[in-house]
Amino acid sequence: MSREDYERFLDALLAADKTSFKQWEASTPYFDGCLPIEVMGERGRDTLRFGPMKPVGLSNPHRPGERPHAVVQLRQDNALGTLWNMVGFQTKLKHGEQVRIFRMIPGLENAEFARLGGLHRNTFLNSPRLLDGELRLKAEPRLRFAGQITGCEGYVESAAIGLLAGRAAAAECLGQAWVPPPPTTAFGALLGHITGGHIAAESEGGARSFQPMNVNFGLFPPIEEPVRDAAGNRIKGKERGAARKRALTARALADLDGWLASPHRVAAE
Amino acid sequence: MPHAPIHVIGGGLAGSEAAWQIARVGVPVVLHEMRPHRQTEAHQTGGLAELVCSNSFRSDDAATNAVGLLHEEMRRSGSLIMAAGDRHKLPAGGALAVDRDGFSDEVTQQLESHPLVTLARGEIAGLPPPEWDSVIVATGPLTSPALSAAIGGLTGETELAFFDAIARSCTWRQSTRASPGASRATISRDPRGAAPTTSTAP
Repeated sequence: MSREDYERFLDALLAADKTSFKQWEASTPYFDGCLPIEVMGERGRDTLRFGPMKPVGLSNPHRPGERPHAVVQLRQDNALGTLWNMVGFQTKLKHGEQVRIFRMIPGLENAEFARLGGLHRNTFLNSPRLLDGELRLKAEPRLRFAGQITGCEGYVESAAIGLLAGRAAAAECLGQAWVPPPPTTAFGALLGHITGGHIAAESEGGARSFQPMNVNFGLFPPIEEPVRDAAGNRIKGKERGAARKRALTARALADLDGWLASPHRVAAE
Repeated sequence: MPHAPIHVIGGGLAGSEAAWQIARVGVPVVLHEMRPHRQTEAHQTGGLAELVCSNSFRSDDAATNAVGLLHEEMRRSGSLIMAAGDRHKLPAGGALAVDRDGFSDEVTQQLESHPLVTLARGEIAGLPPPEWDSVIVATGPLTSPALSAAIGGLTGETELAFFDAIARSCTWRQSTRASPGASRATISRDPRGAAPTTSTAP
């Protein structure tokens, strides 16, 4: 998008008709990674250009040398290549407004919109208090919980907690003791966040401070930062963060393999 | 059959994976899914593991990214979700993006054809029957008010159990049915520059 395209788009976005919040959503704060574009637009005229519309690393093959003012990224959504996702374009605009405004984006004048944006509520347990280390409800252990309702965030995390809940339930059914994954693995780090790792800080609202989270390296036990690489050279500056992550993931996968091979686990692996 | 089945409520990503992990070690499982009889405001199909937001599983870099590591841990654990995701992968740089229909169809077909999995279409409103001695509740962020209230009653923390009021608002994104040629012309990668940013995608 050129500067003119962007300014025109932004004006239309700011003037657009938004859906009103339902009563129970009125005090709902937005999750950080999930801000509607119209909210970002209201925060400043360049906010979107530094967010989902960031024009970095792209050039226009039809006009080489000319840098875009802002971009909209489309990500392929099906194998046929007929559906494309507008990356980062979550919105609460009314549907008619979405169609009208998104067709102002150069190249999308004739686009058909197969699925429009919307918002929904997230329901999740205060898991650190209510669930035990095997994802069982302390008040009624025949019930296990898995997925987003436990307070994990993201598709892969939900499936991972499903994987752990399934294995734990199967082990119980087979009369085996289930050993939780080591805390050094991504499985263990995520399970730890849900079932006990989180510290409820009074300043954050006490018991209510537990919030959904994606898996991230902050949930892993610290590791000694590697100082030298395999060739014995001192690791410098920017490389050190990457070296630390590599050390964390190598430790995780080694511990995971040990866990998967452990005799206490479900047989028939 | 030596074991009573484990009941899994909810055929999303978590419930589908849970059912798969149970069946693959020889334990029977009943997977309960209320769709398509009772739809939600977010879903469009009756398929299992329907992706309602983005179609990206985010970074697939197991060496320096935490979610990429989680992918690898799941693959090593025989995950159905990762196997189906890998089989229906779309080009997306370093991320694992999937064809949502192919992915959902594959998960549905694999579970339906497993001899130890019974797919039961119908809503479980309220607490599961007392004779089910092992249940996995994987009902997602839009868990029905009846079940929410029932669990709230159980925990004695009706006010604390579910955070409706302060919950974040997630969104599912737009898809455009645009001509691929036109879209590709709009977005092209600069060979000298970084890949287009996808880090904001959930």
